[in-house]
Amino acid sequence: MTTIVISGKGGTGKTNIAALLVRILSENKLVLAIDADPDTNLADALGFPVTKTVGDIREGFLDEKDELAPELDKQSYFESRVMSIIEEADRFDIIAMGRPEGPGCYCYANNILRAVIEKLEGNYEMVVIDTEAGLEHLSRRTVRDIDLLLVVSDVSKRGLDTADRIRALANELNIRVKRIAVIANRVRNEHDREKLKNMAEKMNLELIGFIPFDEELAALDLDGLPLTQLKDDSPAFEAVKDLVERLDLN
Amino acid sequence: MAEEFPFEISPMYEGERVRKGDMYVELGGSTKDGFELVQVVDDPNEVEDGKVTLIGPDILDMEEGGFYPYGMIYKVAGEQLETDLEAVLERRHHEFQPYMQGYMHLNQRYDIWVRISKDMIKNGLKSFEQIAKATMMLYKNELPFIEKMEAIYITDEEKVKEELAKAMEIYKARDERARAMHDEDADVFYGCTLCQAFAPTSVCVVTPDRTSLCGAMTWFDCRAAAKVDPEGPNFPIEKGECLDELKGEYTGVNEKAVELSGGEYDRIMLYTFMEYPHTSCGCFEVIGFYMPEVQAIGWVDRNFPAATPNGLPFSSMAGQAGGGKQTLGFLGIGIQYFFSPKFLQGEGGWTTTAWLPKDLKDRILEAIPEDMRDKIATEEDATDVTQLMEFMKKVNHPMVAKWAAEEEEEVEEAAEAAAPEAAAMPQMPMMQPGMMPQMQLPAFAPSGGAAGGIKLVLKNANIKVEKIILKKKE
Ligand SMILES: Nc1ncnc2c1ncn2[C@@H]1O[C@H](COP(=O)(O)OP(=O)(O)O)[C@@H](O)[C@H]1O
Ligand code: SF4
Ligand SMILES: [Mg+2]
Repeated sequence: MTTIVISGKGGTGKTNIAALLVRILSENKLVLAIDADPDTNLADALGFPVTKTVGDIREGFLDEKDELAPELDKQSYFESRVMSIIEEADRFDIIAMGRPEGPGCYCYANNILRAVIEKLEGNYEMVVIDTEAGLEHLSRRTVRDIDLLLVVSDVSKRGLDTADRIRALANELNIRVKRIAVIANRVRNEHDREKLKNMAEKMNLELIGFIPFDEELAALDLDGLPLTQLKDDSPAFEAVKDLVERLDLN
Repeated sequence: MAEEFPFEISPMYEGERVRKGDMYVELGGSTKDGFELVQVVDDPNEVEDGKVTLIGPDILDMEEGGFYPYGMIYKVAGEQLETDLEAVLERRHHEFQPYMQGYMHLNQRYDIWVRISKDMIKNGLKSFEQIAKATMMLYKNELPFIEKMEAIYITDEEKVKEELAKAMEIYKARDERARAMHDEDADVFYGCTLCQAFAPTSVCVVTPDRTSLCGAMTWFDCRAAAKVDPEGPNFPIEKGECLDELKGEYTGVNEKAVELSGGEYDRIMLYTFMEYPHTSCGCFEVIGFYMPEVQAIGWVDRNFPAATPNGLPFSSMAGQAGGGKQTLGFLGIGIQYFFSPKFLQGEGGWTTTAWLPKDLKDRILEAIPEDMRDKIATEEDATDVTQLMEFMKKVNHPMVAKWAAEEEEEVEEAAEAAAPEAAAMPQMPMMQPGMMPQMQLPAFAPSGGAAGGIKLVLKNANIKVEKIILKKKE
C-alpha cells in the first residue's frame, strides 16, 4: 500500500490535484480516497457527494454510548458504521473524515477509529488523502506512515513558505514521511517556472512538477461539475498523468 | 476435523473488505434482516455435533448481486459451558468468520452485515454448509471446552424474522443480566491508561459498578480489549483482598496504582470523594466539587457553560483537577457512575450531593433516590453558595443536620503567638488541588520561622486524618 498525502496552503488546488490523482491512479490500482477536509470537497470533485462522515459517527457514538448493549464489541460496531459510509465507485472508494472534534473526550473513540481506518487502508493499493491547510490533524488521526507528501503551491513565495513549514512540522510530529515534494499549480508561463525553480532550490525544496493553469478545469469547477468530466487531453490532466509516470506510481 | 474447504482460513483475512463490485451476495446489512446467536444447551443430547441445518435457499440458488436475509444460530454444549458465557462465545463469531477469505462479516448480533465475494464462488464454494462447518471448526480448535456444536443457518425471509424476534428476547435478557453485574461478582477489574498520553500518572480503574470517567469504557469493553490486545492500554487488575467494602479499597487496585502512577500515589478508593479518590485525567464527563461552606458536593457536566456555585465553570475545574492526580476536593466521573449502587457509597452516597445543573439533573433523575430529588438544587435554585445554603436549609438537606452538630465541636487549640494566615485551616483546598496527591494537609508551619506556636482551628471539618506530623523548624 502506498499512502499519498496532499497538503499545502488553502486554495492552491489540493483538492483538484487529489481528484485527478485518484482518477489517474485508479486506472491501474484499487484506490481509497480519504477526504480529510471538513468541507468534503474531494468527494464532490470525484462526483460523490458524501452524506455521512467519520466525524458524524464519532459524535453519534458519544451520544449513543450509554445505550449500547453492555457486552457489545464497540470496535466492531464502529467498524461497520465506518464501512457503511464508504462510497464505492467502480475503481475507487471514498470516505470523508468530516468535521473535527468538539469538546468532550475523544481518546477512546479516536483510538478505535484509528485502528478501523488503518485496517480499511490495508485493502487498497493506493491511499490518497486530501487535507485541509495545515498538518495538525495528521498527527492525531489516521496517518502514521506517508510514502509521499505532496505539497501543492501556487505561483507565489507564500506557497513555497507554506511548503517549508509543512516540512518542518512533519519532522516535528511523529509522522514518518518517506518523501516530501512540491508541485506548483496554475503555472501560466516559462517565467513562472523559472522563478519558482530558483526559489525552491534556495529553500532546498524538491519541486517535482508544474501543473498549468487549465481553463477547462476552472470552468468545471465554476459550474460545480466533478473532475471526472475533465477530458484526458486537458493540460492539467496530462500534467498530473506525467507526474504519476515520473514518480513511478503506476 | 481435517475438513477441506475451497477457501483459505487465516487471521490475515480479518479486515478484508468485499467491495460491491466484487460481491456475489450481501446478507443482512442495512437492507435485510440478519442475526447471529450462540446458545448454550445444558443437555448434551440435544446437540448433534457437526450438524448443519439450512432453512431457505442455499448460496447457489441466490441471484448474483442480490441481497438476502441471514440468520446463524449455533447450539453448543460442554461440561464447562454455562449461559453466562454466551455473549463471550458470540463475540468470537465476529472474530472467526472474517478468517475466511472472501467473506466479510461486520458488526454483531442483530446488526450483522455479511458479503460473500464472487471469488469464493469461483473457487468452489457451493453451500452455506461449508461456511458453517469452517466456523464450527474454528470454534472447536480455539475453544476446546466446546464439546459439541451444531449450526442452523436461515435464509428464508419469514423464518429469519421469526427467529430474530426470539433472539431479541435472548439479547435483552442477557443485557439485563450484564447490567445487574456488580463489583462483588467480578474477580478482576480492568485498568485503562489510554489517557496517560497527556495525563502521565492517570490510571482509570474500571469495574462493573464504575464505568470509566470518559464514559466510553465499560468493564465489558475493557475485558474484551484486554483479551484482544494484551499489550494495549487495557489490562486486568486482580482485585486482591478487599480492605474496605464500603469505600471500595482493594489491595490489587492499590498495587497497580503505585506501579502505573510511577509512585505518585499508592491508594485508591473506588467509592469515595474525599479519601484517596480515583484520579481524574481530564476526560471526565462530569466533575464533582466539594463546597466547604455547605460541606456538600456539586456536580457539573461539560455542557453546562456557566459558573457553578463555587464560582467556577466546568472548564476551569477540569483544567485544575485533570492531569492524573488525586485531587482532593474534586472528582471526575462518567455519567453512568451516577446510576451505580456504589455511587460515593463510602461517604453516604447521594446525601452529600447538593447541586446539579438542571439538564444533568433531568437526565439522571432516575439515578437519584426519590427522597433526595427535591433536595438537590440546580442553577434555578442557587447560583452561589449563600443561595445554596439557604436552599439547603429550606429543603432540610441531610447535610444541614451535620452543620449544626459540628458547630458545637469546634476545636480550638491555641498557643501563644497565633499565626493568622494559617488559622483558617483545613477547609478543602479549592485553590490548588493539584498540589496534594498524598492528601497531606497544607503546610501549616508558622510563617516566618518565628518561634511562635500555632493556632489550629478546625471549623466544620469532616476529615479523617491518619497522621499529622508537626515539626518545629530547625
Ligand atoms: N490547474 C488549475 N487551473 C485552473 N484553476 C485551478 C487549477 N487548480 C485549481 N484551480 C482552481 O483553484 C481553486 C482552488 O482549488 P482547490 O482544489 O479547491 O484548492 P484547495 O483544495 O487547495 O483549497 C478552485 O476554484 C479551482 O478551480
Ligand atoms: S478516561 Fe477513558 S480512555 Fe481515558 S484512561 Fe480513562 S477509561 Fe481510558
Ligand atoms: Mg480543498
